[in-house]
Amino acid sequence: MLSIQHIRKRFDDVLALNDVSFDVANGQILGLIGQNGAGKSTTFHSILNFITYDGQITWQGHAFTPQDFNHIGYLPEERSLMTKLTIEQQIVYLARLKGQKARDIRPQIDDWLARFAVKGTRKSKIGALSKGNQQKVQLICTLIHRPDLLILDEPFSGLDPVNADLLKRAILDAKQRGAAIIFSSHDMENVTELCDQLVMLRTGNVVLHGTLQDVRNQFGKTELFVTTDWSTDRLAALPGVASVTVRQPGQYRLHLTTAQAGPAIFQELTQGHYIEEFSQQPPTLDEIFRLKVGEDHA
Amino acid sequence: MLKTWIVTCETYLRQVKSWSFFFMVLGPFLMLGLTVGITYVSSRSNASSQNIAVIAETPALRQNFIAENPSNIDKQITTVTAAKKALHQNHLAGYLVLRQTDHQLRADYHGPKALGKGLKAQVQNYLAQTQQVTNYQQAKLTAKQQRLLQRTPKLTQHIAASTGTANLAKTISFWLIVTMIYIILVTYASITAQEIASDKGTKIMEIIFSSTTAVSYFVGKICGILLVILTQIAIYLLGGWAIYSWALSRPHLHAMWTQYHTLVTAILHNLLNLNLLYLLVGVVLFTLVAAYSGAVVAKAEDASKAAQPVVMLGMVGFFATFPFQNNLDALPVKIMSYVPFLSSYFMPMRIINGTVSLGTQWLSLGLALLTVAALAGYIGRKYQHLMLQTDSHSVWQHLFQRH
Repeated sequence: MLSIQHIRKRFDDVLALNDVSFDVANGQILGLIGQNGAGKSTTFHSILNFITYDGQITWQGHAFTPQDFNHIGYLPEERSLMTKLTIEQQIVYLARLKGQKARDIRPQIDDWLARFAVKGTRKSKIGALSKGNQQKVQLICTLIHRPDLLILDEPFSGLDPVNADLLKRAILDAKQRGAAIIFSSHDMENVTELCDQLVMLRTGNVVLHGTLQDVRNQFGKTELFVTTDWSTDRLAALPGVASVTVRQPGQYRLHLTTAQAGPAIFQELTQGHYIEEFSQQPPTLDEIFRLKVGEDHA
Repeated sequence: MLKTWIVTCETYLRQVKSWSFFFMVLGPFLMLGLTVGITYVSSRSNASSQNIAVIAETPALRQNFIAENPSNIDKQITTVTAAKKALHQNHLAGYLVLRQTDHQLRADYHGPKALGKGLKAQVQNYLAQTQQVTNYQQAKLTAKQQRLLQRTPKLTQHIAASTGTANLAKTISFWLIVTMIYIILVTYASITAQEIASDKGTKIMEIIFSSTTAVSYFVGKICGILLVILTQIAIYLLGGWAIYSWALSRPHLHAMWTQYHTLVTAILHNLLNLNLLYLLVGVVLFTLVAAYSGAVVAKAEDASKAAQPVVMLGMVGFFATFPFQNNLDALPVKIMSYVPFLSSYFMPMRIINGTVSLGTQWLSLGLALLTVAALAGYIGRKYQHLMLQTDSHSVWQHLFQRH
């Protein structure tokens, strides 16, 4: 388990992290969200000991030691490889630095290239690959040694939906074999899809922390999705409805002033009859993100 | 340790497999071949225009002169008209007209420049000998009288051959060693700074530092570069040995080898001793500073700028040796032979001169090694922070910043 307790980091006059605490259990995925400059990369750099910090970070119950390097897979925010090397040379070099033997890694390379649909062979020069394919090779370098702790800084940035799906599958595979995974993302859909828990940072402070459902439920089930032949005006006149949005003709999204208004609206709308859709939900992560960012700007 | 070795291998193989290394190693051989070739072609093309023609009314007079002085003579030209024409076309340096009138020898030289000292002496010597023979014949001297008149005083110079060779060997060894140190330091200071700075320009350092410690990586990098240097030195030693063996097997060079055998052996003795260790320690010291300079820059393009202070330091050491090349016992030489960075130049000078004890040599080497250890420790500690930082802090801020 990765445990981060009361981390604090200051760069000159800027407090980059302020009392940040969370745990990532083995076999769990934690999503770290926040605006640019919120402190996500600083958190990763603290975990990796790239910078000094106040507080405590432990891995499997002890402070990180050079021996733990072999169990970490790290993908930095900006992609970067050694362009003069071939794919094979690059993967083998970085895997050897992770304590792997070249003879164990070489036979796996073709499989990994096929798995990520890399356009190129093991003998292709990194510099000759497209940006997207270089990114995939870097992902392979991050994953091929089967790390127990995966730290992925914006792993989906620049990936098309097909390749994003390939990466999701790889992340879920790592989770399946018990790796603790922490990744940052601006795409709330990916976070919703993958994460067991999330942490939102705002100017170095933790503003949200918990499982996805817990976080959403904190905001109450104020979103109501209905399919009905009622008009917009009639829906807006219902008690407790703050606003109405048309999703499709006959399909509406009602924003409630309070979650308690739901049962009364259900009674009014159905009158004891069948209704095709009535779903009361908390706000989406994307909405919560915008809400929290908005609080900062307010 | 294993990871250090992995970094060393990667650095070494990437460098030696590059075209720049290939041309850098071949460079001196190409330059040598080019110089020899150009000199040969040039000497051949200039040869005819450096000759003189000898013209005489009496064929015996001309033939005797040519027989006694066969070099630098154009034997084809026998008339003044032909000589004038060749001179006009710049195919001759000049022509010599020999005459004998009433038992009096006379020589007239025509050319754009005066006769060279050597040729002038040859002409005067020939004229004097020939005139003497004519004079003796005219004077009708007996053989005994002729022998008596031919008697001349003798001047013999007694030069200790071993001392002369030793001094020449010292001079050649001095120049070889300081030039070799200078070239290697300057070349590899730039390569090291570039190598480190190019790492810094990429974020791959973050991946690497999530795999191994900064100290381990830094030491691996430096060892890789040192292996490249050793490879270059080994190639030069092998190349030198190959040329030497080839030269020995050439019959026409055998005489020259016999003549210079003592000199070559003395030079090799001066080079292949503690001086080689000084060369290596000096290279390590300068490489460390160059690596630090490379790590301080904000981007790869500044690498050449970063290497400048190290190159300048190398130049200071190199040029500082010049005033002392004939005064290897001077006090500044003694002082500088203990100063790390400069000792790589100055202690080998003293060793070549043979006026420094073994204890003193090891003391100076120990000081240099201590500096290497201190520098490696300091830079190793700072390395991760420097490599991951991409701010625009000055060198001085980096030097005194606390992390």
